[in-house]
Amino acid sequence: MSDQKISITYNDRVVRQFLLATMLWGIVGMLVGVLVASQLNFWRLNFNLPWLTFGRLRPLHTNAVIFAFVGNMMFAGVYYSTQRLVKARLASDFLSSLHFWGWQAIIVAAAITLPLGFTRGKEYAELIWPINIAVALIWVVFAVNFFWTLARRNEPSLYVAIWFYIATIITVAMLYIVNHLSIPTSLLHSYPVFGGVQDALVQWWYGHNAVAFFLTTPILGIMYYFLPKAAERPVYSYRLSVIHFWSLVFVYIWAGPHHLLNTALPNWLQVLGMTFSLMLWAPSWGGMLNGLLTLRGAWHKLRTDPVLKFFAAAVTFYGMATFEGPLLSIKSVNALAHYSDWIIGHVHSGALGWNGFMAAGMIYWLLPRLWNRPLHSVGLANLHFWLGTVGILLYVAAMWTSGITQGLMLNATTEGGSVLAYPNFLDTLNTIRPMMLMRLIGGGLYLVGFLIMAYNLVRTIRGAQPVDGTIEVFARSAVPQEERLGAATTLFNPPVVFSALGTLFACVWMFGGPGLQIVGLFGGAISAILAVAHFATRGTRWAGWHERLLVSAASFTVLTFVAVAAGGLIQIIPTVVVNKAQNMEDRIATPYTPLELAGRDIYVREGCYNCHSQMIRTMVPDVLRYGDYSRMGESLFDHPFQWGSRRSGPDLARVGGKYNAAWHFVHMADPRATSPGSNMPAYPWLYTNRTDVASLYGKLNVQRMLAVPYPAMSPADVQASVEAQAKTITDELKATQQLTAPDREIVALIAYLQRLGKYETVAPRTAALQP
Amino acid sequence: MKSPDAPPPASPTPGEDPLRPHTYDGIQEYDKRLPNWWLLTFYATIVFWIGYWMYFQQSGLSTSDGAKIDQHLAQVEAQKLAANAAFDDASLWKMSRNAVFVDAGRATFNATCASCHHATLIGGIGPSLVDAVWVHGAQPTQMLKVVNEGVLTKGMPAWGPILGPRKVSEVLAFILSHHTPPADLALATK
Repeated sequence: MSDQKISITYNDRVVRQFLLATMLWGIVGMLVGVLVASQLNFWRLNFNLPWLTFGRLRPLHTNAVIFAFVGNMMFAGVYYSTQRLVKARLASDFLSSLHFWGWQAIIVAAAITLPLGFTRGKEYAELIWPINIAVALIWVVFAVNFFWTLARRNEPSLYVAIWFYIATIITVAMLYIVNHLSIPTSLLHSYPVFGGVQDALVQWWYGHNAVAFFLTTPILGIMYYFLPKAAERPVYSYRLSVIHFWSLVFVYIWAGPHHLLNTALPNWLQVLGMTFSLMLWAPSWGGMLNGLLTLRGAWHKLRTDPVLKFFAAAVTFYGMATFEGPLLSIKSVNALAHYSDWIIGHVHSGALGWNGFMAAGMIYWLLPRLWNRPLHSVGLANLHFWLGTVGILLYVAAMWTSGITQGLMLNATTEGGSVLAYPNFLDTLNTIRPMMLMRLIGGGLYLVGFLIMAYNLVRTIRGAQPVDGTIEVFARSAVPQEERLGAATTLFNPPVVFSALGTLFACVWMFGGPGLQIVGLFGGAISAILAVAHFATRGTRWAGWHERLLVSAASFTVLTFVAVAAGGLIQIIPTVVVNKAQNMEDRIATPYTPLELAGRDIYVREGCYNCHSQMIRTMVPDVLRYGDYSRMGESLFDHPFQWGSRRSGPDLARVGGKYNAAWHFVHMADPRATSPGSNMPAYPWLYTNRTDVASLYGKLNVQRMLAVPYPAMSPADVQASVEAQAKTITDELKATQQLTAPDREIVALIAYLQRLGKYETVAPRTAALQP
Repeated sequence: MKSPDAPPPASPTPGEDPLRPHTYDGIQEYDKRLPNWWLLTFYATIVFWIGYWMYFQQSGLSTSDGAKIDQHLAQVEAQKLAANAAFDDASLWKMSRNAVFVDAGRATFNATCASCHHATLIGGIGPSLVDAVWVHGAQPTQMLKVVNEGVLTKGMPAWGPILGPRKVSEVLAFILSHHTPPADLALATK
């Protein structure tokens, strides 16, 4: 059947569906972003309503933009380009539809549960466990549909875009499943299986690589398809694609700990996170170079074509963000920038510049082709581009200024470094108010740009006839066996063997201890020299092998998985398998009392971690401001960990006992009564809601399963313990004329807050975690 | 697909680099050399990783973050001890009659203390500072100790580490300015 010509009609219906969903959820996600940015400026916009407070809406914003906006955009781009690159219709119309509707159902479920306070309390992993399972299942549907299509392809060789799609699908599955492992306590609530430093490490392995494999690799694949199409120019360099693809997927995974620099994370992991982030700079720029240099000879088209304008700007923002990332990963730079708006600016130059503009360029390119009608208005598309660009620049410049200003103020000391120059946290917050306003204006402009695109889209497709792409192809004959790689040739060939040897010796050198260090160093050096020599003499064999790899989708997938799995295994397994008791330095937490645990669940529900960290770094200004630096053992039993990533308010790791109960009681009802100038929302409902004591017995059982050393307690014991502790707090409140019933949520929350920073001292046993 | 040794097809325009033999949905690829500056950047970061790891993890020359901050904190502590030793009851009373100290103290008090003790010092969440009742001792040095170290059981934070000795003494001067010094201290008032 090899010479038989067949006609294929692509499934462009699902592409159109995903494209319209991208438009819709993009606007929703950005609208929520503008709202939360307004709340930071004007606290009244929290409306004193639980489901409209910043702590619940910020997760909605991040999840909507990442998973709803970029997710739908990715699926549209992947499905459109893959069908054409492999010359085959998507394998199953049913799976395609299931994928689309399943994903939209997940988004709707998220948009309902997050404002209601149902959360796992981990950033970008907030969705509750039943939704997690749905996400995993739909992702499997996507994977099956995609790989099945590859299996039926009429184009034997896989183009670079497909490599990035493969890396996306397998890596996101791995990251998502591991970081969402939880034990349910009810239909809507669960505790993550990892706690404290382990949870922190797993979370940022996931969080960082969600950026890598959800926001970067699929979009790079989309760039590799749509940019040369729009520019009508050949891609700059195939070998640059090869080198930057493999180095990117291998190196990215290791860089997660740069989110935890100067914290209680073991030092060797911090060093790995920082150095691998720096090594990630060149592989990332490989993608930027291949994008920008593909435009050589087409730059004049930028004057007239909004699509190319968007792509060129997006790739430029990608380059800027991937230079900024390694810069921010340097420990001393991070000491200034971490917990500040600089990080917010960094992610938005990626999200607005790279993801948002790639989405816009792709949509403007696809609309005329999917609906067979010219774009309604090129002028409006150009207006969108300029509004968006000015919006991003305002936003990012404001966040740089804000982050550096606040970072410098928070870290400033006087009198020979012994005293904080700005002891009042709110002085630093109120200094950056103008920048927070400018960011709101920038974000608003960007949203207006997207609204203009939505109008343009509606005008373009209204009354238009959707059209599906078709192609006449020779049904492919099976690739000859000798061209495809078997299991042995997949693994035993010069590039893979030398890479494996290099990685192995590097690990021996890093973790081998005094004797083996030398072995690892010399072994690594010799492997590198041999590899260079071999490549110099027999480079065509390397190239020939990679050509064969490109016709062997299964081998390609396996090797990609090996490359992305290595870094995570080496970082996470040692930290997870060491006995919990060794994971602590010189201090250990005592388990929370039942009432404190109930208070902690309220803290997580309200999303306090979105503005408050619980991690005092090993830096003098942090210690002067918040107390002794945090130790690993102090958050040992925290499922989930609450170290936080942004300090819109002060750190709370040692807030326990700093103020009395009355202070917290007044503060939570009206933050400005105790802290003039604060932008924190008020929490009036905590004074009327009753603490959920009934679920505590089950929650304690789950905590016990997670190796938190709770004594056996009957439901009656739990009840008695809760009542006794609540009474001491209400008695203390009564002494200062603050009256409340002991069963109110505010009492549980005060119990938790007053407990923060309490620990027991134990003999240090840090050696176990050193490599 | 052709073998990689096959000669590449002619370029679309003369003088251009050769294109790869394969096209994907009309997309062609050059196979240009990797830019040298890009390769050097990559190599430099790898060398940096090796050097950085050796220095911080293997050489024994670096101190751990914990040891480093403990050293810094010891220096801070020493400085504070030296500064605190300078205050006695008489000098604090004297400061309380000095408008510069009192005005500076008022600013810090309003920002830091007024939320519990009220801007007019009449008390609220915390006790009044204008009445004659001093729970933890009426001597200025005793009050200084309360502000510096706090009364954790009652929710009074330790302000010494946060404000530093100078600001704490100014706050105390402001509080004392609401009271009359004992007669045996002959203080020159302006």
